[in-house]
Amino acid sequence: MAIPANLELAAHGERRRTSLARLYLEHERLAIGGGTLIAVLLLWEALGRSGLVDPLFISSPTQVAQAGWQLSHDRDFWNDVEVSATEFILGYGAALALAIPLGLAVGLSKRLQYMIGPFIDTLNAVPRVTLLPLIIIWCGIGIWSKVVVVFLGAVIPILINTQSGVKTSEARFIRVARSFSASRVKIFSSIILPGTVPFIFTGLKYGAGRALLGVVVGELYASTAGLGHMIADAGNTFQTDIVFFGVLLFMATGLFVVALLGAVERRFEKWRPDPR
Amino acid sequence: MTDAADGGRSGMSSTGPMRAASGELQMRATFRWYLAHERAILGTLVVMLFLIGWEGLERGWWADLLRPLLGASAERLQLKPIFISSPTLIAAAAFRMFFVTGEIWRDLAWSGVGYVLGLGLAIAVGIPLGLAAGWYRRFSYAVEPFLSALNATPQVAFLPLIVVWVGTGLGERVLIIFLLAVLPLAINAHAAVRTTDPRLVKVASSLGAGDWRLFRTIILPSSLPFLLAGLRLAIGRGMIGVVVGEIYGSAAGIGAMINQAGARFQTDKVFVGVLTIVAAGVILVEIVQRIERRVDVWRAPA
Repeated sequence: MAIPANLELAAHGERRRTSLARLYLEHERLAIGGGTLIAVLLLWEALGRSGLVDPLFISSPTQVAQAGWQLSHDRDFWNDVEVSATEFILGYGAALALAIPLGLAVGLSKRLQYMIGPFIDTLNAVPRVTLLPLIIIWCGIGIWSKVVVVFLGAVIPILINTQSGVKTSEARFIRVARSFSASRVKIFSSIILPGTVPFIFTGLKYGAGRALLGVVVGELYASTAGLGHMIADAGNTFQTDIVFFGVLLFMATGLFVVALLGAVERRFEKWRPDPR
Repeated sequence: MTDAADGGRSGMSSTGPMRAASGELQMRATFRWYLAHERAILGTLVVMLFLIGWEGLERGWWADLLRPLLGASAERLQLKPIFISSPTLIAAAAFRMFFVTGEIWRDLAWSGVGYVLGLGLAIAVGIPLGLAAGWYRRFSYAVEPFLSALNATPQVAFLPLIVVWVGTGLGERVLIIFLLAVLPLAINAHAAVRTTDPRLVKVASSLGAGDWRLFRTIILPSSLPFLLAGLRLAIGRGMIGVVVGEIYGSAAGIGAMINQAGARFQTDKVFVGVLTIVAAGVILVEIVQRIERRVDVWRAPA
């Protein structure tokens, strides 16, 4: 009598373990990723507290959180956020408004591409942040020099991707539409444009990264306000926690913009049948 | 108006139909030649127009030309050289800096050392890291959050931290170039292993190939194009690092030269610096593309 009970208990334990293991396996990615992240944060905190490394150099997660909390009550901080956001939105918005129509036009017209192509290729080869000293001569150290460098950073990837999206439109679809005597406007709006949307979004994501880079470099280089300015200032005065908080803000912004663009893209791509 | 048109027509008829036909043929041949070379012709034309327009703005050609029409406000069409410089001024400055004073060679050497070290470090860390993350699933779970977070961050934001850690100097420049260049390398290496044909791996491992053998004979050859594409991206990112790393009072270097020239309104020197960086980038990318073609020789055409 005792033996079967024991057996059953063992079997039960076994089942429990396998279900736990299954739970782990199902969420292994999350478990390992989150585990590593927490381990790194703990190690960082321990290093900062133990005094093995001077907290002046590495700060610690709690100090960074504290700095963030204090900053959120600081009017200057919100001014910096506002300045950086304005630079990003104006520059990126202008890039988007110019690059998408121009990219479509350059993709559609061979002659236009011959004429503008050399300029696009040249600008693409130039790391645009190297133009900052010139842009500052032209626009001063205020907000406009950053808007221009953000614009220049974002405009090229959006333009190139839009153009190559038009170029890779399915030629068969266009021929079919043409033999059913579809107008050029119809072909553009129902074949070329929808086919180009994924390319445009790829360009927009690249462009967002480039735009953020422009904000940071522009403000590190010469500025009077903005989050990059805040980071540079804090670095100069060894307020490492504020520097880390600023870097985290840029990281969060980058992740947020990419996620937002991804969500908008899924919205646009809803009509597409699932390839699997 | 009609007279002239008539004259033209009668003139043509008087030369005879043979002439007209050959003239038309000639024209058609010219047009065909134009169509065949349209890209080069249109491209060169527009670039020439742009350069002439630029030169004219600095020299005041357009101001002189339009003065009768616009009067005094035409003066606005002449811009000071400190503002826009001009193609000839830039060419002259480049000649002076490369061959007369030779000052740019020192800057090139200075930046080059940091660039080579930074890019080398990025290759040494990024490619093994990416390959390992692609091969070991659990390892990739551990590093993926860090890689994607770092990839979404403008890495330049770490510059003030790097300055706090290692001060300004060679170490700071190497680190910022490393940080900018390492992500495309790691991410491409990761993707390369992931897209290896699983059938090849299965066949080889069922024939008893070990991890090292698999890596050397299957994974590495099939990921090489991805690795080289990542390297091309990293070359461009590294160039950003050269300039940004020298913002903080570097003693020499192309980036520092650009910054100083900008601060002194020597616009022509700024352009020479920018063009030098572009040239260096283009040459390096060209070298990588040569390697790509050579490496891909054995591959069967798709």
